[in-house]
Parts: sequence; C-alpha cells; structure tokens
Amino acid sequence: MSEPAIAARRLEKRFGHATALTGVDLEVPAGSSLAVLGPNGAGKSTLLRLMAGLGRPSGGSLSICGEPAHDRAARARVGFVGHATFLYAALTARENVLFAARLHRVPHAAARVEERLAQEGLEGVAHLAAGALSRGMAQRLAVARGLVHDPEIVLLDEPFAGLDRRAAQRLAGRLADLRHEGRTAVLATHDVGLAAQVADVAIVLAAGRIAHEVRAPQRDVAALERAYAAAAEASP
Amino acid sequence: MNVFLAILWKDLLVEWRSRDRVVAMLVFSLLVVVVFHFSLPGGATAQTRATAPGLLWIAYVFAALLGLGRSFSAELENEALSGIALVPVDRGWVFLGKGAANLLVLGVVQAVTACVFALVFEVDLTPVAGRLAGVVALGSLGLCSIGTLFAAVAVRTRFREVMLPLLLLPLLVPVLLGSVRATSALLADGTAPFAAIQLLIVTDAVYLILSFLGFEYVLEE
Amino acid sequence: MTGYADGSTALRASGILLALLALAYGGQVILAPNDSMQGVVQKILYVHVPCAFAAYLGFLVTAVCSGFYLATNDERYDRVAAAAAEMGVLFCTLVIVTGPIWAKGTWGHWWAWDPRLTVTLLLWFIYLAYLLLRSFTEGSERTARLAAVYGIAGALAIPLNYFAIDLFGGAAMHPENLQRGSLGQGMGWPFAVGVATAVAAFAHLLLLRVGLEASVSPSGGRLSIRG
Repeated sequence: MSEPAIAARRLEKRFGHATALTGVDLEVPAGSSLAVLGPNGAGKSTLLRLMAGLGRPSGGSLSICGEPAHDRAARARVGFVGHATFLYAALTARENVLFAARLHRVPHAAARVEERLAQEGLEGVAHLAAGALSRGMAQRLAVARGLVHDPEIVLLDEPFAGLDRRAAQRLAGRLADLRHEGRTAVLATHDVGLAAQVADVAIVLAAGRIAHEVRAPQRDVAALERAYAAAAEASP
Repeated sequence: MNVFLAILWKDLLVEWRSRDRVVAMLVFSLLVVVVFHFSLPGGATAQTRATAPGLLWIAYVFAALLGLGRSFSAELENEALSGIALVPVDRGWVFLGKGAANLLVLGVVQAVTACVFALVFEVDLTPVAGRLAGVVALGSLGLCSIGTLFAAVAVRTRFREVMLPLLLLPLLVPVLLGSVRATSALLADGTAPFAAIQLLIVTDAVYLILSFLGFEYVLEE
Repeated sequence: MTGYADGSTALRASGILLALLALAYGGQVILAPNDSMQGVVQKILYVHVPCAFAAYLGFLVTAVCSGFYLATNDERYDRVAAAAAEMGVLFCTLVIVTGPIWAKGTWGHWWAWDPRLTVTLLLWFIYLAYLLLRSFTEGSERTARLAAVYGIAGALAIPLNYFAIDLFGGAAMHPENLQRGSLGQGMGWPFAVGVATAVAAFAHLLLLRVGLEASVSPSGGRLSIRG
C-alpha cells in the first residue's frame, strides 16, 4: 500500500457551535502505531470515531487507505473498540462475537469466534450472558468483538479506563501482539507511560488541535509528559 | 444479505430471550379490543360489524407503535447502535433486518388479535383468512417500513415515546385507508378492491425505498 | 443563504411587499365583483387559496433543501429548510382557519372531509411533527440530519395522502377553481395578485428568518441578496 493507512488533511469537526477538531493534519503509515493523548474534551474520541466512519467531517478530509473514512469500503478495514462496549446484555459472550462476525461477513464465522474468544482468555465465560460479565471481562469481550474480522487498522479509545493492574498488563500485551502482526493501531489514552511504550508516534491534542507531535516517544518520555501537562494547563 | 440475516437473527434471539415486547404488545392489543367492546353499546350488531375493520386496524396501529417504540431499546445499552453503524455495507441492510424482525413480531400479535376480534364482534373470518392475511401483511409492510425508520429517528431524540406517534401517524394515513378499505371489502363480500391494493403496493414501495436510503443518514453521528 | 445583505435592503423589500398587499386589498375587496352564488364570503378565497399555494410551496422548499443538505452536508441548506417550515406552518394555519370560515358561509357547516382540506390538515400535522422533531433533538448536526429525513418523507407522503383520500375519503366539495375560465368575470386579476402577494410574503419572511439564523451562527454563509 503506497498510501498511508490513515491520512487527515485540515480535518475539522463541528457540533453546532462547538468545534471538536480543527486543522488536524496527520499521516499514519501502514503497520505503525499512533498514540493520541490529551485531556478530557480535547477531541480524542471524536478523532477516533471519525476514523471509524461513524460520522462525516465538517471540513477537510480523512481517508483510510485512500478512501474516505465514512465510506463502506473504509469501514471494512477498520476495527473499533470504543468507550462503550457495543455489547448486548441479553446475548451470551459467544453470541455477541458471532453477531459481529456475521455483520462483517467473516468466513467460517463460528471457528473464528472460538479463536478470538480463546485469544482473549474468555473460553470459560463464553456461554454467560454479556450482562453478567465483570468490567474487565466485558472490555476483553469488546476487544474480541472489535477484532473478529481481522482488520488491518485497529482503533482503541481509552481501552485501559477502569481496568485493574492485571487486566491492563494483559491488554498492553495484546497491543504488542497487534504490532507484531503488522496492523496499524491508533490508541487514545490518558496514560503517557503506556503511550510511550507502544507507539511509534505520539500526538497531544488540546482543544481540538494538535498541540504537540513526538516521534519515537520511548526515547524521551519526559518530553512527552511535559507536552501533555502543557496541553492540560492550556485547556479550559 | 448476510447483514440482513445477522440483524434479523439477533433481534429475534434477543426478543426470544425475554419475550417482553411481544407479550406487552399482545396484552395491549387484547385490552384495546375489550375497550372497544365496552365503548360500543349494544354489543355485536350489524352497525358495529361495519366498523370492525377500522377498529381492528386501530388496534394493529397501536400495537405496532408500542412494538416499534421498543425495537431499538436493546441498542441503547452500551451504545450498540454505534456498533451496528460500523457495518461495512450499505446501512439500508440494517434497516431491512430490523424491519423484518418488527414485521414478524407484529404478525404474531396481529394473528392472535384477529381471532379475538372475530369472537368479540361475531365475524366469521375463516372463508377469507388467506386473503385477509395477505392484506394485513401488505398493510403491515408499510407500517413497519417507515415505522422502523422513524423508530430509529425517535430513539435519538429527547421524548422518544411521544415523538414516534407524532412523526408516524400523518404518514400512515395512506396505509390505514388502503388497509381498512380492503379489509372491509373482504369481510363484506370476499373481494379485495383493486384500487386499495394498488394504493398499498405503491405506498409500500415508496416507503421501503425511502427507509432503505434514509437509514444511512439516520445511523450517522 | 444569509438572507438580506443588510437592513436597508430588507426594509426596501418590506416596502415593496406592503405596496403589493395594498394593491391586493384594493383589487380584491373593493374592485372585484361579488360572486353571484356565494356572495361576499367568496372573497375570503383570495386569502385562502394563495395561502395554500404558499403552504405547499413551503414544504416543497423544505423537502428540496433537506435533500441538498443530506447530499452536501452544508448547514446553509438546513437553515433554509427549517425557516421554510416555520413560515410554511404559518400559512398552513391560515388556510385551515380561513377554510372553515368560507365553508360555514357557503355550505353551512364548519368542516367537511373533502380531499384538499384533509390533505392540507395532514400537511399541517406533518409540519408540526417536523418542527417538534427539531426542537426535541439535541445537537444541531443530528437535528439537521434527522429533520432532513423527515422532511423528505413528509413530501413523499403528501401526494400519497392525496391519492388515498381522493379514492376513499370524503366528498369532493372544493370548487375546481384551478381550471381556466372557472373563475368569474373580473376575478382573474385579483386572484393572480393574491397568489403573487402570498408567494412574495413567503419569500420575504423566509429571507428574514434565514438572515436571523445566519447572524446567530458563527460560520455564516457567502450568498446573500443585494439591493
């Protein structure tokens, strides 16, 4: 693929009078990882949701492998794990992932679903209703659901929120796996240390703009922390 | 096509797990029939039998409004609606799946209600049962198509229970008129007037296409 | 659109409209002859019918702009659609109020379920549902999109309603005054002026309303009417 996996040019998103994103320019090459940092309200979720194809830009452009992000073709390449889990409480864990597999027209869906459940360590609870799962398990189920169709591009919106130490470590391990598998990943998070650990590039959003961009952040985590603090200070 | 079947399967499975929607619709429908019986003094006379088709369809519309209003309730938890919006196909297929599920659930309620109606109003439905089912299906197709579209719209507003009937009822007049006229004629002499059937077919086609295309925009953020 | 470019243009347009109204009043009330069968009550039709034109025109504008909004995502179209609905419901209310006044004067009762009046009543309900949908939805982009879908649905439902009611509804009691020569002698001109005035009034109010909305919005727009 000669085009970048994700490309934004002067991307803008307005909700009525409020501007969530403005003047966002970025390029994420295929196979690399981007961390999106920023205080609450900076626009991280909005950016990821636009990348997932859940809304249309108000201005500028956003493309996935050269196609507009809100087109059907682009949606096929993306796996999104959002703030909310997208799970149906009345269905079992297995049925939830099976449903997602069918929506994405995954071939040999039943087998694939078992693979994904095993990968997230959920075989034991696969028969339980999703509503009965703990927060950590529900989060893992959301990841299994989001990745069931083997997407090239994975978007994770604050996946570590509310997880205990063990669950967070497990998830960090999964993120490393995704990198090894050659997928493009975008991670929105508050955790600067984690961002530095997994990302090739880290950007800091403040009030809808990119305030700071750091390449190879693991080399200078302190600089990234300073940039994040500056953005948090500047925000209302 | 897969997406259509996936959504249909999921909706029916969720409904089967709790069965609360279909039970609520059934109980409500039967209550409406009983209320009609009490509000028409004199019991089953020739006069009340003439109004029976209209009353039957009123009961159907009320049951449909109840069912449609609840058809997206499972999607409200955990933002499942966004989960569905991520499908890599035209979102119109999501509409077809949901609409079909609504139609099936409504159909079950309609069948039972028709039997009770026949008993209460002393109308014999057996000679026209097949054709009646056809007319009811045609009318319900119109009901459920824009009904599902605007149920999705209403669920994204502040007063969704009030919003749905307000939005739907003016648009349902052609469906209601065609269905009642066809049902009346069927019960009176066993024929279905061509004009009414034609109206229903045209309305259904227009509403189906509108809902299929419109769903793409309704599911967007 | 941003409506009128400035206050003085708007004022000039208001002046022209008032002149038209005076002309219409003079022509219709004073100069036009009384109808031989219905008497002076027929003159309310000079208000009733033009308002009906404006009411249906209003929904056509709403529906067309809704379609453009969905295609282009340009909020200016949504502003015009919303304004057209607000103005349209005004004219529609006038139609429904003047109709029974005429009906009582000629047929003897306030209401009849004839196709045109019934469809106009349904149009009124569709307008109200559209406006309620707008006010009960949060977030202007979501409001614009959902309202646009309903606007198009409503526009499709109106001809369907007309055919449905025409086939099965009430008696046709509306005079067929859309045909040539069906108006009496000396009524053609006042009628035409009436329609022109109603359409002009609709356009004027629409521009004022859009202008109001645009001045409140931060993004504004580039098109405007220059006097």
